[in-house]
Amino acid sequence: MPASIEFRGVSVDGILHDLDLRIGAGEAVAFIGRSGAGKTTTLRLINGLATPSRGDVLIDGAKPVDFIPLRRKTGYIIQGSGLFPHRTVYENVATLPRLLKWDETRTKSEAAALLDKLGLPFEKFAARYPRSLSGGEQQRVGIARAIVARPGILLCDEPFGALDPIVRRELQDSFTAIREERNATIVFVTHDLAEAMRVAERVVVFDGGRIVADTSARELPRHEAPAVRALVAAASLPS
Amino acid sequence: MKRAWLLLLLFACSKQPIVVGAKNFTESDILGELVAQKLEASRCTVDRRLHMGGTLVCDAAIGSGALDAYVEYSGTALTAILHQPATNDRAAVDRIVGAAYAKRGLRWGPSLGFNNTFAMIVRRDYARQRGLRTISDLRKVEHEVRPGFGYEFVERPDGWPGLVARYRLDVTTPPKTMDLGLTYKALAAGEIDLIAGNSTDGLIESLGLVALDDDLHYFPPYDAAVVSRAEMDRKCRGASAALASLANTIDDGTMRRLNYEVDGKKRDVAEVVREFLSAPRRGGASRR
Amino acid sequence: MTVLRATGEHIVIVVIAVVVAILIGVPLGVWAARRARAGGFALRVVDAIQTIPSLALFGFLIPIPFIGGIGMRTAIVALILYSLLPVVRNTVTGIRGVEPAVREAGVAMGFTPRQLLFEVELPLAMPSIVAGIRIATVTAIGVATIAAAIGGGGLGTLIFRGVAMVDSTLILEGALPAAALALIADAVMTTIERRLIR
Repeated sequence: MPASIEFRGVSVDGILHDLDLRIGAGEAVAFIGRSGAGKTTTLRLINGLATPSRGDVLIDGAKPVDFIPLRRKTGYIIQGSGLFPHRTVYENVATLPRLLKWDETRTKSEAAALLDKLGLPFEKFAARYPRSLSGGEQQRVGIARAIVARPGILLCDEPFGALDPIVRRELQDSFTAIREERNATIVFVTHDLAEAMRVAERVVVFDGGRIVADTSARELPRHEAPAVRALVAAASLPS
Repeated sequence: MKRAWLLLLLFACSKQPIVVGAKNFTESDILGELVAQKLEASRCTVDRRLHMGGTLVCDAAIGSGALDAYVEYSGTALTAILHQPATNDRAAVDRIVGAAYAKRGLRWGPSLGFNNTFAMIVRRDYARQRGLRTISDLRKVEHEVRPGFGYEFVERPDGWPGLVARYRLDVTTPPKTMDLGLTYKALAAGEIDLIAGNSTDGLIESLGLVALDDDLHYFPPYDAAVVSRAEMDRKCRGASAALASLANTIDDGTMRRLNYEVDGKKRDVAEVVREFLSAPRRGGASRR
Repeated sequence: MTVLRATGEHIVIVVIAVVVAILIGVPLGVWAARRARAGGFALRVVDAIQTIPSLALFGFLIPIPFIGGIGMRTAIVALILYSLLPVVRNTVTGIRGVEPAVREAGVAMGFTPRQLLFEVELPLAMPSIVAGIRIATVTAIGVATIAAAIGGGGLGTLIFRGVAMVDSTLILEGALPAAALALIADAVMTTIERRLIR
């Protein structure tokens, strides 16, 4: 079940200033802005990897007290994938299902289906170790690991940032394809405007710890704010 | 200027240091210091190597010339160094040892005047409870007694193996070995029950210990005497004459008292020896 | 005191000491890895213990009641103290060496701290920890020869007796098995380490 996310007057000392934001259940939102603007911190507030110094973060209208159950319903994909090097591809993907005490047959079928869909045929890849995979393949496993248990929220922190442009494009496509059948609220941090517009319908622009723009992806190139104009120019998008 | 250097050189040559050693227990240190201070009183330069090592270490050293003199015991020289069978004939022991040393270019003597034999020591209450007075009485406790010795006693032919054989003891617990000094502490603390100490040890009384009587006269006599290299006088004229004056100057009681000054009262060895040399001697012929 | 008996005693002393050092050192290392300041302090303490010359450490322990006295127990206590540093230090290194991204992935997935430790951190730290155990074992085999000075038994007994009697054979009877034990332990543990760094 996708969850709604709300920020009320959230500040993190030195990074975020009085943030207000509402993300509806099932929405796909991209956070964009230059480095240090506060987008990653905002993302990490959602699953409790960062704590606000002021204000509240509400998930489905309530303030989470214990983050561990929430995290088990939240997918988290990061740059470099963070795959467990001592576990095989299958074991990595099966991490959360095992934690949730799923039936092993169910785990296997879900993992196999997902990996196949992500372009990693199960028979070939299941028993391999992360270090034998390319960067792109590792990130595909990372995606599979994050979404196999059908999370209500999916958090992505520049997941394709370390990959070359062609692979990045392929992964963006796989991501959007997968996401269509998995109903989750998505927050996607990126500094690549084109990527943001490809993976999300809504774009939130951060600058200096504040939100300076919050529009649909289509409307963004026409936005007036200087920070947004700078981004658009830098991305050299066709207007 | 050049003449001064030459004189200094000659002076140095004529006063090569005499190296005096001692074994690694208090009494030996005291006797080594005694020899050293006597030599220094005769204006010899002395290099001290006290607490050097066990019997065979000192013997090897004096044989090779690394030592010029140290104090040895007749029985020890007989059995441990010369590997001769132990005997109780005091004169014979002295004769055999003297002859053997002479063959190696070493002088045996003078005798200092006391006999420091091995003492098999137990705690006083342990002895009382089990009725132990002699070494033969150990047969009563042979299956429970826990022996503990220094490294030498357990290996020497006149040590533990010979004792057990002679007294026909079937001691079940094999002996623990450790630094000799520790055996007294361990015995007093009750961690072991039987040690091989020296009859002139200073701590026997004060630690509540008692020595068992050697009823079968297993141990040979251990008369303390100086062993020295024949060339010692070449290093310092009058060295052997100085040592000769030590003959029969210490009896058993005196040795025990000196040991107690160091072990019991924790006084400095050099200080105790200095005090002894300056005081009028008791027991034995007093000669300067 | 036969060579066989002395070797047996030696192995017993070393095994007990290293096992206890692992039981204390690994948790201590895990604790120290998490805290920068307190952990640094703990490492310095363990480091300081190692700088004490082994014979001195044995000597210090003798008068202490309960764990002291002469004999095997004191020897084992001293060896435990000596074996702590390599184990603790390598545990800290191993755990701190876990890539931050990997650790964060585990936390974000909803691992409890305990699950994170046992499923992610310890398995990844294992090669480093085993290396620490290997160093501790080889060092302990050597230091254990000093145990004989305080009645602790082991191969040092033969060495000390040999020195007292100026008997090279006796010395070698103690020294060679000790060296062999160290080499074997080193070889075995290196194999284990290699197999862990798949």
